Amino acid sequence: METCTKCGNPKIIIKRKQSGQTLCKDCFVESIQKKIIKTIKKEKLLEKGDNVLVALSGGKDSVTLLDILDTFRERNIIDICAVTVDEGIDGYRQDGVDIAINHVKRLDIDHQVVSFKDSFDITLDEIMDNPEHRGSCTYCGVFRRWIINRAARDFGATKIATGHNLDDETQAILMNYLEGNVDNLTKMGPKTESKSLLFAPKIKPLREIPEKEVGLYVLAKNLEVHLTGCLYSEESFRGEIGEIIKNLSKNHPTIMYSTLSGFDKIKTALKNEHKNNFQFEKCSICGEPSSNEICRTCTFLNELDKKVVL
Amino acid sequence: MNFTLIFNDKKEIKSLNKDTSIKNVLDEMELSSEIIIAKKNGDIVIEDEKIENGDEIHLIQIIYGG
Ligand code: SF4
Ligand SMILES: [Zn+2]
Ligand SMILES: [Zn+2]
Repeated sequence: METCTKCGNPKIIIKRKQSGQTLCKDCFVESIQKKIIKTIKKEKLLEKGDNVLVALSGGKDSVTLLDILDTFRERNIIDICAVTVDEGIDGYRQDGVDIAINHVKRLDIDHQVVSFKDSFDITLDEIMDNPEHRGSCTYCGVFRRWIINRAARDFGATKIATGHNLDDETQAILMNYLEGNVDNLTKMGPKTESKSLLFAPKIKPLREIPEKEVGLYVLAKNLEVHLTGCLYSEESFRGEIGEIIKNLSKNHPTIMYSTLSGFDKIKTALKNEHKNNFQFEKCSICGEPSSNEICRTCTFLNELDKKVVL
Repeated sequence: MNFTLIFNDKKEIKSLNKDTSIKNVLDEMELSSEIIIAKKNGDIVIEDEKIENGDEIHLIQIIYGG
């Protein structure tokens, strides 16, 4: 009978194919916490005195992120605030918002819920009623980033933390590589510093944790999370890449780790070799940083006959 | 011999063959073990875990597309 590699407990909850390790609940939880803290230290993601804005959807990734970052807050190393974006997806988003609220109340953290409706006078549901739409996730990504950046300034945040996990990161690396999108590749990494002072740096403390282990962590710790799929989740290139990586991982369990570490090794060279010198200007409509005269958010809103609510 | 299966808020009693593991159940339901975590009688278990008469198996989908 298999027992925990670390402590000998016979009640194991995971068998890590990538390392042959088997772990009990307590040792697994500890290993995840240690690994994330190691990433934070190695990549210097946090500095003493940081005010970290957590993008908190109520899903497993952001709840895990909050849980780990809170240990730094408990030790008075950082402050935390949180923002939850309400896209306006009937029958889906409210549960996540409620769960996010429960967590911030429990931890006594400053929190804003900001909706597409309040910010742009339109919900994602209303956008999807328009037959000319560009695809739900395209709006979601662009609008969400706009809201989170603005919330970071409202809170005076010095960092923005997101819950991107190892699966997300390897998907993005392969996707950008296969599409030849070197510009995007150079922007990726554990910490993205923007040239514009209006943007706080973004950090990804969970980038070395496989998505399944993030799910196991919230179940093992009994953290309340929103576990359902979005009804607009669409067939996408990213989804196809995700399938390929999952299938490959079955017989090659280290493939995500090597994709990420390989990328990390060429990242600096890539950045130096491929300098892009575009200057950030302010969007002439909403005033947010943009490399074009009008930012993507305002461009999309124009098409929808809407404007940022200032 | 049988066991209780809970998945997506549905609860059903299933008959149980000897030496059935969680993995066998996932395969039969065409669910990928990459996106599911199983609990047996309330405790998280690995997919090699054998199911015994009277067990309650709860399958939780933790990864969704999108
Ligand atoms: S699946 Fe797409 S539309 Fe749904 S919440 Fe995620 S990004 Fe938005
Ligand atoms: Zn142990
Ligand atoms: Zn704008």
